Amino acid sequence: MSHGHILGDSEYKSQVSAVWKATLYMGIITIVEVVIALLWMNYLADSLPRLMLNVFFIVASALKAFFIIAEFMHLKYEKRALIISLAVPLVFLVWAIIAFSWEASAWFHMKGLVSP
Amino acid sequence: MAEETVLHHPEIETGHEPFMPADEFASNSPMKVSYGKMMMWYFLLSDAFTFSAFLISYGAIRMSNAWWPDPNHVFNAMPFMGHRKIPLGFVSIMTFILILSSVAVVLAVIEGHRMNKKGVLKWMLGGIIGGAAFLGCQAWEWAHLIEEGLRPFYNPFGPDEKGLTHLVHETLTKSPGPVAFGALFFGITGFHGFHVFTGVCLNVWGFFATLSGKFEKVGHYEMIEKLGLYWHFVDLVWVFVFLAFYLL
Repeated sequence: MSHGHILGDSEYKSQVSAVWKATLYMGIITIVEVVIALLWMNYLADSLPRLMLNVFFIVASALKAFFIIAEFMHLKYEKRALIISLAVPLVFLVWAIIAFSWEASAWFHMKGLVSP
Repeated sequence: MAEETVLHHPEIETGHEPFMPADEFASNSPMKVSYGKMMMWYFLLSDAFTFSAFLISYGAIRMSNAWWPDPNHVFNAMPFMGHRKIPLGFVSIMTFILILSSVAVVLAVIEGHRMNKKGVLKWMLGGIIGGAAFLGCQAWEWAHLIEEGLRPFYNPFGPDEKGLTHLVHETLTKSPGPVAFGALFFGITGFHGFHVFTGVCLNVWGFFATLSGKFEKVGHYEMIEKLGLYWHFVDLVWVFVFLAFYLL
């Protein structure tokens, strides 16, 4: 908003309700994460592959991150140029995750050779 | 003079950009964002790389070990609960505290757009209290783990092994686990906690600057927006620290 331009009542209300909505979603996601972690520990750990749980956790965390960046940091409402300039460098992280996972599995096998 | 040209800038008069600040830079910039906010975004981008480097090396070291401590067994203590084991309980509370503190700061930013000094003060105070509470929780958790014997150079949480006292009755003794666990835990949560501490200090400054009427005089509360961006970033990093250390 510009100098002296004060947020109108309707805009104000819609912004505040958007914030609380995002909060509610994030709260629900966190509760579901904890409930599923506890269910897993007590009932599911022996019957299902751990990978399933991990994928669920990663997706849930990505969703929370989306709500924080889009709503709380207000990036959803910024110019596309800014969004792109922030998102494109993060491609390097995809490379880093792949490269270091690969490297880690090589370390794992090397350790196996040294001390079986 | 400059003030007048800004006020009559056609883009601002009819602008639909919800958060467009009014200085000349913002109205001329293709990103329609002030210099300060843009630089805060790029600082946060660089900080995101720092945290990613930490978390990715955590992942790599963890994956290269055949055995790693189970978070549900390491982080299962809760204050005032004695020896009751409550896996994930305390960290979930910490997560909620940080999210709610973030929400308070968003609301302070929105109040700033209405030039509502009292509202900004109220919600900034909420954000500061949340941040301080989070730091308190983290201090408790660190103290608890140090008491359990966790050090940057020693990790007592190892695989269970059959003990030597089996003549009396079979007991399980703990053997030390991967050493890197302690260093990674204290290093990464410590670096995040340092960010939280910095954020709380900055927010306290923002609170008193608002109280003194500094932003009212300037005519906008953009500084609160910048503080807010930093504060939400701290919350964002916690989501991934929570994922890496407590959930996976």
